Amino acid sequence: MFKFQDSDGKIVALRAEMTTPAVRILTTKMASTPKPIRLFYISNVFRYSQSYLEREREFWQAGIELIGCNTPEADGEVLSLLAVSLKKLGLKEVRIDVGHAGLLKNLLKITGLEKEKKNVLQGLLGHRNEEQLKKFMNQNDFSSELKEAFLQLSSCRRLEELSSVSLKSSKYGKTRNYLKALLEVKEALANYGVENLVFFDFSLVRKIEYYSGIVFEASVPNLGLPLGGGGRYDKLIEKFGKLKIPATGFAVEIEKCLQALTAQSFQLPKDGKAKVLVTSKFRDTAVKAVNAIRDAGVVALLDLKKSSKNEILRYAKLNEIDYAVFTDSSLEKPAVIYDIKLGTAKNMTIKAFLKNVKKGE
Amino acid sequence: MKMKRKIRIAISSKGRLNQPSIQALQNAGINILREERTYISETSDPRFEAIFARAFDVPIYVQYGAADLGITGHDIILERQAEVHELLDLGFGKCQLVVAVPENLKIRSVKDLPAVMRVATEYPNLSQKYFENAGKQVEILVVRGTAELAPTLGLAQIIVDVTETGETLRRNKLKVIGTVLDSTCRLACNKIAYRVFENEINELIDKLRRGGTVTK
Repeated sequence: MFKFQDSDGKIVALRAEMTTPAVRILTTKMASTPKPIRLFYISNVFRYSQSYLEREREFWQAGIELIGCNTPEADGEVLSLLAVSLKKLGLKEVRIDVGHAGLLKNLLKITGLEKEKKNVLQGLLGHRNEEQLKKFMNQNDFSSELKEAFLQLSSCRRLEELSSVSLKSSKYGKTRNYLKALLEVKEALANYGVENLVFFDFSLVRKIEYYSGIVFEASVPNLGLPLGGGGRYDKLIEKFGKLKIPATGFAVEIEKCLQALTAQSFQLPKDGKAKVLVTSKFRDTAVKAVNAIRDAGVVALLDLKKSSKNEILRYAKLNEIDYAVFTDSSLEKPAVIYDIKLGTAKNMTIKAFLKNVKKGE
Repeated sequence: MKMKRKIRIAISSKGRLNQPSIQALQNAGINILREERTYISETSDPRFEAIFARAFDVPIYVQYGAADLGITGHDIILERQAEVHELLDLGFGKCQLVVAVPENLKIRSVKDLPAVMRVATEYPNLSQKYFENAGKQVEILVVRGTAELAPTLGLAQIIVDVTETGETLRRNKLKVIGTVLDSTCRLACNKIAYRVFENEINELIDKLRRGGTVTK
C-alpha cells in the first residue's frame, strides 16, 4: 500500500481495494437500507507491483458487493455473476478456483502447531509439493486422520469431490460444517449452470486478511495472473461499527481483462454502421449535407482541409470510412458518392443516398 | 480443458544452472532444439517450449506467467520473493548462501561482526533479513555476479554470496563465517498454469523424478 504522512502528522494511504471503502459507506450511510444490498463500483486503486508486465501503480477495478446474506444462494449468485461477466466480455475458457479461508484456518489451528510451523505448512500446501508435505506431517506427528484430510483436500479439484473427505472425530465439527457449506454452494452453482467452470483449490489464499468464508480467483489459460477474485467477509463490517452483517463480493481487474482479451486475439465486433466523409467546393452545402446525414442517424465527418479528390479518397480508406460524398452547389442536385470499399462512384441526391445506406444496414 | 497453447519452461540462459537444467529435461524426455540467437526454443515434446532467461529473472517470469514453469535455485526464488509453486526439488545445483570475510580478519562468526557495516551481495533481500535476525545493522551494496571481488577492491569487507565448493572464495582469500541458506534447484510453477495444465505438469514431474527411465 502507498502510505504518506499528512501535514498534521496523520498517516494517510491510497486505497488498494474498494471493499473496505464500500463497507465504510454502508455502515455510515446505508445502515437502514433493507438487506440484502447489492452494490457495484468501477474505480481506480493503487498498489505496488514488481512485474515486468505491469509497470503501472494505478489499476482499475470493477466490482460488486452482496451485503446482508450468508446463504449458499448468495455465494452462488456472486460466483456465477463473476463467471458470466467475464464470459460476456468475450473471454474464453474462463475458470474460477474456490478455496475456503475458514476451512484452511480451522485445520491449521487443529494441527496445534506454533505460528512459525503453521506458516511452513501453509507454504508447503501453497507449493503443491506433496512429497514435502508428507515429510512435514510425519516429522510433526500428525494423526493419521489429519494427515489424510490434508492430502485429500490438496488433491480435490472439484467441489463435489469434497463429499469424499471423511472426518469422524468430534474435533472436526467445524471442519465438517465448512465442507458442507462448500457442497451447498456447489448445488447452487449447478442451478446457475456454471458449476463446470468452478474448481476447488485448498491452498488458495487471498492476500487480504478479512476473508472468513469461501475465497475465489478467476483466470484464463492465456494469462498467468488472476483476472479478479473475491470472497466472503462476514466479520469485516462489524469493525466499522456495531452492525454484524455477513457479506461477499468480488472485483475484476480491468487492465488484466484487456491483456487476456489481447492474448486470446479478441476482435472488437464491427458496429455495422456506415461512416461518411463529406466534402464540397461549396461550404454551405457541405455543412447542410453533413447535418442531414447526421440527422438520419449516420456518422458523418466534414472535410476541413479543402483536400484534393485523391487525398479525400486516401484518407477515407485509411480511416475505414465507407463513403466519400462530394456535394454540388445545392442539396437538390445529385452529389458524387464514392463507395470506398468497392471503389465505385455514383451520382445521386443526398436523400436517395440516405435511403440506400439505411437499407444496407 | 482443451489445450490451446504450449507450456513454456524458463531455463537459466548461462551460468552454473544452465547445463544441468537442460540435462534434467533431457533425462525426462524433453530435448531442447535450440536454435542460434533465438530465445524461444521448440522441444522434442510438442507440448512444451523453452525460453532462456537470467536465472535471477526466472522466478519473476514464472510468477507473472511469462513462463508457466521455471528451473532455478531455491535461493533465487526466495530472494526475488516470488509467489510461485515449488513443485519439485530437482536435487542438482546444490549450493549455500554464505557470509564471507577476508581470511586475515580475526572474525570467526557473524556475532563478531561490527555493529554497523557494509555488505556486498547479489542477494539484498535475503541478506537484509539474515542480518536483521542476527541483530546487525548493515548497508547493502547490490552487485551483479562478482561479490567476491568487493573486499579486494575495498568496496565492502563482508560479502553474501553462493558457494558450491568454496573454491572461488578460497582463491579470493575469503573465509565463510555464517550460512544464510542451503539451496538446490527447484521446478517453479505459475499458480494459474498449474491449475490449467495440471495433468501435463504432473506427468513432467513424474518423468523428472524418474530421471529418464521413462517407459512408453
